[in-house]
Amino acid sequence: MGILSWTNRWPARTGKLLGAFALGLVLLPALGFGWARPAAAQAAAKSFWFVGTNLIFAKAQNRGGETAVASDDPGLGRFLGKLGASLSYDPGQRYVIVTSGDRRTIVFTLGDARYTVAGVTQSAPFAPYQSGGSAYLSLTALAKALYVLPVEQGGATILQPQIGDLDVRTQNSVTTVTLRSALPVKFQRVSAAGDERLVVSLNAVGTSLEPQREVSGSAALHALSLQPGGSARNPTTTVAFEVSPGTAHALGASRSQNELVLAFSNKVALSGQPVPANGDYGSGGAAVAVRAPGDLSPSAPTNEYAPLPADVPGHEALPPPPLQAAAHVTSVDALPAGDALDVRVAVSGPVAYEWHRLSDNRWYVDLRNAVLDTPARDDQPRSTAVLSLRVKQISADADPVVRIALTLASPRHVDVEPAAGGFTVAVGENDDGEAQRVGAGRIASGAVIANALPIAPVTGSAGGPSDFWSKPTPAPPAPIARLAPGTNPRLIVIDPGHGGSDFGAEHNGLIEKDLTLDISKRLRTLLVARGWQVKMTRETDVDVFAPNDSAHDELQARCDVANQAGARMFVSVHINSFTSASLNGTTTYYYKGADLALGEAIHRHLAANLKTIDRGVRKENFYVIHHTDMPAVLVETAFLSNPSDAAYLRSPAFLQQVALSIADGIGEYASNSPQVNVSPSDGL
Amino acid sequence: MKALRAVLLLALAAAIAYFLYRQILQPKRVAADTITVYYCKADGETLVPWKVTLGPARDRKSVAFYATAQALAGPVPGVEAIRFPQGTIARSVTIAGDTATVDLSKDVESQPGGSFAESGEFKALVWTLTDLPGISKVRVLIAGAALPTLPGGHLELDEPLARSNW
Repeated sequence: MGILSWTNRWPARTGKLLGAFALGLVLLPALGFGWARPAAAQAAAKSFWFVGTNLIFAKAQNRGGETAVASDDPGLGRFLGKLGASLSYDPGQRYVIVTSGDRRTIVFTLGDARYTVAGVTQSAPFAPYQSGGSAYLSLTALAKALYVLPVEQGGATILQPQIGDLDVRTQNSVTTVTLRSALPVKFQRVSAAGDERLVVSLNAVGTSLEPQREVSGSAALHALSLQPGGSARNPTTTVAFEVSPGTAHALGASRSQNELVLAFSNKVALSGQPVPANGDYGSGGAAVAVRAPGDLSPSAPTNEYAPLPADVPGHEALPPPPLQAAAHVTSVDALPAGDALDVRVAVSGPVAYEWHRLSDNRWYVDLRNAVLDTPARDDQPRSTAVLSLRVKQISADADPVVRIALTLASPRHVDVEPAAGGFTVAVGENDDGEAQRVGAGRIASGAVIANALPIAPVTGSAGGPSDFWSKPTPAPPAPIARLAPGTNPRLIVIDPGHGGSDFGAEHNGLIEKDLTLDISKRLRTLLVARGWQVKMTRETDVDVFAPNDSAHDELQARCDVANQAGARMFVSVHINSFTSASLNGTTTYYYKGADLALGEAIHRHLAANLKTIDRGVRKENFYVIHHTDMPAVLVETAFLSNPSDAAYLRSPAFLQQVALSIADGIGEYASNSPQVNVSPSDGL
Repeated sequence: MKALRAVLLLALAAAIAYFLYRQILQPKRVAADTITVYYCKADGETLVPWKVTLGPARDRKSVAFYATAQALAGPVPGVEAIRFPQGTIARSVTIAGDTATVDLSKDVESQPGGSFAESGEFKALVWTLTDLPGISKVRVLIAGAALPTLPGGHLELDEPLARSNW
């Protein structure tokens, strides 16, 4: 502050001046303000040939023989877009700011013929002016700043991209030549690979730079020449470098795709690769994410660690039961997958469900307020995992319920997973150790509270086959909107970042949403083993709220899971990324004051256990940690845009180490936190 | 009498014109020739101020727009900085009280996934605008609409951002 001072304060009673302002606008031209539309300007749509297309400036005006283009002319938008440039203008103020593809700023001011290009003042044929809510600029001046030259040919005007700038400098016996082009550089090497003399031909660009240039102060390069070729519409420029005997050349590091950097030396070895036979800088940037789902399946079980067991019951996939019309079950299909079985259930709308695992290997799910639109079934799917699959409308009156029941061949892990158009009952691997405990659970969609409360074990045999199909217990009460944080002092909510239609970041064949889920499942296993109750905001590759939902709905839905359950802590797992591959490391974010101790505890363990760079604990206004009521942190595990971090992220051992560190941090925080009255293992 | 009335009316009109000129066009002028624009280094933490020379327009709204556009463009090519996605422009900048409202183009959404970049970009924008006197908060709109975060994003945008957010 204090660098500037407004010489006068903006009057507080702005509203009262609005009427006067309107009057003022009427008076402005009369008062002779320079940036209002000059009388001399005349509407005259113009068309130009530009890189293979006919570009029409529909709103162009003629200003004393010069073309004035409107800031919001679609033709100008196409012109700038092709050059990777963009224009900012807001009619309420006087600057028009253009950013070139290589991030040079070009500043025009209404009423002033001077303009600046990267801070250097130039002069335009006329001062930009405002007319009809648009700013009008000199096309010649704008094009020149963007290295584009209007060329007249046979009555047509061609906007020809150019090599607009050439820079030669020598340092430490290396001479570097930088050519700056209007378009992303495409070139061919004309000289042979082993030749000392280098000749390159640049496509699609002409030049009006000096054709010959002597280079002084360089032992390697003594001259270069630029030779325009091709036609006005399809120009090329051939650049020849005259070098001393024994000179090597290489590609240098360019700062943008519009630059070609060449290095020459006859004294020292050059670090860059030799100039290739051709180069195309515009076809694929280094930062382009390539989605390669086949490259990686991070959630596939690995031999390195045991299959992930189920957590304590805490499973919710669909919104609370609707008060309106019943949902329709339109199909139930058993899809064997090796030893496993997926039962796909298509449902017409949201439905509350409740599943039970009985101790005799029976498992069933009741869909409440649901009507079976497909025939009831009782058969044995082609799977060694399941002895029978039964689907039936067990109650049809005011409270219609559809039950899907499985008799398992052996104790197995059964998961209810939301899927497009319904959900999947996934019968997975053998699950001896967990069967009894998980079988004690009862979940109901929407009734999050039920998951967090102590679980009443289901008695040994919950009725024989005769009463198995009897009317179910009444639906659980409507969910409580929000519980005080820590109401469930043993409950931790884990939020695997992104998911479903939101992939998160993608780099190096890695996809953020898959890695966050993998780590979260590992963390869940560890925490459950340590006696915590765990609820995940998602357990599969889904959007938590809805596919292609708004960021607000999605993020708030994640917060709601923790807030409604009165969880003790909230941990959101993310993977970082950046456009530059050089960035790496692990960061833990907090926002609320209450988050800091948890963040510090978790980060201490992450920093001690991981080989990644320690980027520290940092405050950031991230939505999910701001809008959760309890201590909450967001862990950015590593950068998947960085090759060495990406290598870590491909290793199950690393992912396990991340989960272990977070679990250890949670344990440390819990044992230090004065609010803990209940030991995590109490009551379990 | 008629002539006197005409003279009085003329004097009144002149007074109004002068008042408009002073109050509407002149009052928001900035005295300095430069503003400070910030960019965030690629470490995600270090904010680097640099001075940018102002053009001839010094009214408050123009200067705020200029500062925003400079922050969006970032430092000169070659400087490694956390940059807004290419093509991101300021659609408008308005000032009400101590809050500048910046309406960004949809291009800002074109780099999904990274909380790191989001943080660095907006930190630089907020520091730049709040360096102007009288501005302490920045409200962000995208294509004219208030959004809670960028799509698939992390950083909360539904409340005005201030330096104290970091």
